[in-house]
Amino acid sequence: MAPENNQDESLLELFVFETGQNAQQLEQVVLAAESQGGFSHDQVNEVFRIMHTIKGSAAMMSFVGIAKLAHRMEDLFFYIRENPEASYDSRAVSDMILSCMDFINQELERIRSGEPADQEDNQLLIHRIDLLMSVMTGNSEPHAGCSAKPPAGVSAPAPVPLGSESPGAKRYKAIILFEDGCAMEDVRAYSVTVEVGEYAKVLSYEPQDIMENGESAARVREHGFTIRFETELSLEEVRKKLMQTVFLSELDLVCETVEAAPTEAGHDDAEAHEGHPEAAEAPEASEAAKKPAANQDSTAQYHQQPQSIISVSVNKLDLMMDLMGELVIAKTMVVENPEIAKLEVADFNKSAAHLSKIVTEMQELVMSMRLVPLSATFHRMQRVVRDMSNTLNKDVHLTLIGEDTSVDKNVIEHIADPLIHLVRNSIDHGIESAEERARAGKSPTATVTLEAQNAGGNVLVSIRDDGRGLDREKILARARANNLLTKPESEYTDREVYNMIFLPGFSTNEKVTEFSGRGVGMDVVMQNISQIGGSVAIESEPGKGMNTLLKIPLTIAILDGMNVSVGDTRLTVPIAAICESFKPRQQDILKDIDGNEMIMVRGECYAVLRLHRQWNVQTSVTQLTDGILMMVEQDGKKRCIFVDKLVGRQQVVVKALPAYLKKTPLSRCLSGLTLLGDGSISLILDAGWLVETSINGQ
Amino acid sequence: MTAEASALISVLVVDDAAFMRLAIKNVLNKHGFTVVADAKNGQEGVDKYKEFKPDVVTMDITMPDMTGIEALRLIREFDPNARVVMISAMGQESMVKEAILSGAKSFIVKPYKEEHITQTLLKVASKC
Repeated sequence: MAPENNQDESLLELFVFETGQNAQQLEQVVLAAESQGGFSHDQVNEVFRIMHTIKGSAAMMSFVGIAKLAHRMEDLFFYIRENPEASYDSRAVSDMILSCMDFINQELERIRSGEPADQEDNQLLIHRIDLLMSVMTGNSEPHAGCSAKPPAGVSAPAPVPLGSESPGAKRYKAIILFEDGCAMEDVRAYSVTVEVGEYAKVLSYEPQDIMENGESAARVREHGFTIRFETELSLEEVRKKLMQTVFLSELDLVCETVEAAPTEAGHDDAEAHEGHPEAAEAPEASEAAKKPAANQDSTAQYHQQPQSIISVSVNKLDLMMDLMGELVIAKTMVVENPEIAKLEVADFNKSAAHLSKIVTEMQELVMSMRLVPLSATFHRMQRVVRDMSNTLNKDVHLTLIGEDTSVDKNVIEHIADPLIHLVRNSIDHGIESAEERARAGKSPTATVTLEAQNAGGNVLVSIRDDGRGLDREKILARARANNLLTKPESEYTDREVYNMIFLPGFSTNEKVTEFSGRGVGMDVVMQNISQIGGSVAIESEPGKGMNTLLKIPLTIAILDGMNVSVGDTRLTVPIAAICESFKPRQQDILKDIDGNEMIMVRGECYAVLRLHRQWNVQTSVTQLTDGILMMVEQDGKKRCIFVDKLVGRQQVVVKALPAYLKKTPLSRCLSGLTLLGDGSISLILDAGWLVETSINGQ
Repeated sequence: MTAEASALISVLVVDDAAFMRLAIKNVLNKHGFTVVADAKNGQEGVDKYKEFKPDVVTMDITMPDMTGIEALRLIREFDPNARVVMISAMGQESMVKEAILSGAKSFIVKPYKEEHITQTLLKVASKC
């Protein structure tokens, strides 16, 4: 059934989403508790409640692994809540929770990607919880869960001793069996006693310990629940009432009183006492009349707080962004249509300007809707820092600045991993051991600072530490060993040396730790960041620490580009990568001994990349002095690109390369495609490729 | 009981987990109940009860701010005939007992089967 499948799908989606949020919230609580040095009463409650929710939802979806684990955690926190004086190692407990959350997050990830859940064994975790529990409870009852004692003040209605017969009353005995699988049979039996108590005097019931003994559920399940009571109601009336018991499977009801002639009047009395709807209406009405004010107030309040935030699927936002892009292009096609420009249409320009203004505003709005604050990503680092400082035995404090800074949802996804990697790197390699810090006269607590700030269309994220900084000699030595040097060591600037750590397969750390791995990573950081059109720069001062600066575009869907032409081909170069464009003079054009063209700009020589030659494009512009040179910088490398002419600057909507282009070598040079105002397609050049690619000779 | 019997029954669903609300609502809608409102905590549940006067309320026990049992008491104070069914989990026996003493008409144990909910609600709604 299709609709049902849909329903299940959205249920699953909601489950994954909400459980993920719960897990995140839990992590925050635990970290907060840890920084205070223990769990407050409220925090215990909150952990308990969240675990309870996760357990319930997971059990509903039949994710047994999650449900079981959450159940044990819930038990543990129930115990802590009910026994505030119990002493426990809060550190061990929070470690426990975090491990459990890791497990749950893994499971969620699996569920999200459509893999079967419950593949992994969590027996070890459960065993660890049980161990904690038994230490806490002093080994006496290793599994004292929620099924402890009933709260004070709650007790079963005391069975009335036999023999206190009131006139006209008859004695009944009922044996009740519940349906299989209805759960909590003892409580169900108990609720029968309460219900029967409403119209009859309960004399006795069996098992008697339904309130106190959790084991009684099994007895009720197998042998049923026997209750004796006396009432003036007739057998049929009693049967009718008992038949309403939820999950009743069998009822055996007998009247034990020797039949005395039943009086009709007795019946009527009983019915009137017993809360018939008509009789009950009166108190309800008066009750309602008593507090009309309160009633109105709360309803009014409810209406005053309409839901002000809704959640929308990211897919829809992506689609909207796409359509917005199409709209921008369509607008340009209309407004700048050369045919229309020829016509003398009154008011067209005015209307066109108006349209352009609205489209621009809307575009900004659509972009802003996709902006998400970095705070969630930043807060994830708390956990990274905590785990690492524990394992590496370094005392590290994480400072977050500007976590409200927002960037596009897609961008966040791309920078989360690089950030984790950089923070790990800082702690693992940058921060010294406690002894080393003491020797250097630094405070024993090291600081890692994550800072984000807006800068035009970019966001600057910096990861700073006050560790030992980068070691120029060590890096050079490693580069030498790996044959990465291309010129004499003394000629390398500090910046060039530092940038070497981004080369694939480069690592100065001999030891491989759990966290930092074997030097795969820094190059991946670089890759991830340049993929979204950002850049990475490193500043470092020996003994003072290092600072990694990420420059990230606010959004990757819209690019500020310079349109250029080579022959009939239209190309777009990201403005961010362009340093300058100029018409070269003949005397500045040089050739090195291999015949490669160079251009001299303010005393510096730059290699020239002729795009028409690179791709064999037919063009009439082949003399450097006839065309335009565009200086492009990426990752600290500069090069001059030769194009026929500049067409103009434009914000373009980036479209991914179609599948058939992805397989061609061309895909390495392009970061995407875009539609220009006249409907033609422009190729967006990848700045990284422009400065990296080898230049085709003459 | 038939679907026609359930069609006349209005239900208020109170649960702090959006997932649980959706799960319960799905089942109820499928079986023809009318879910008139849902609430995400005890206080909201009480307010909505006063607003909609549903035939039956499903009430989660563990919720932030105001627990289901407190909400149950307030609802019963407002309407002594209110029919509230607690949604509980295994291990909450003592709380369920407390709820029943406070006037809950029945309870459903998570994880439940569809027919557990429908059966319980139908029985509770038809009780007089």
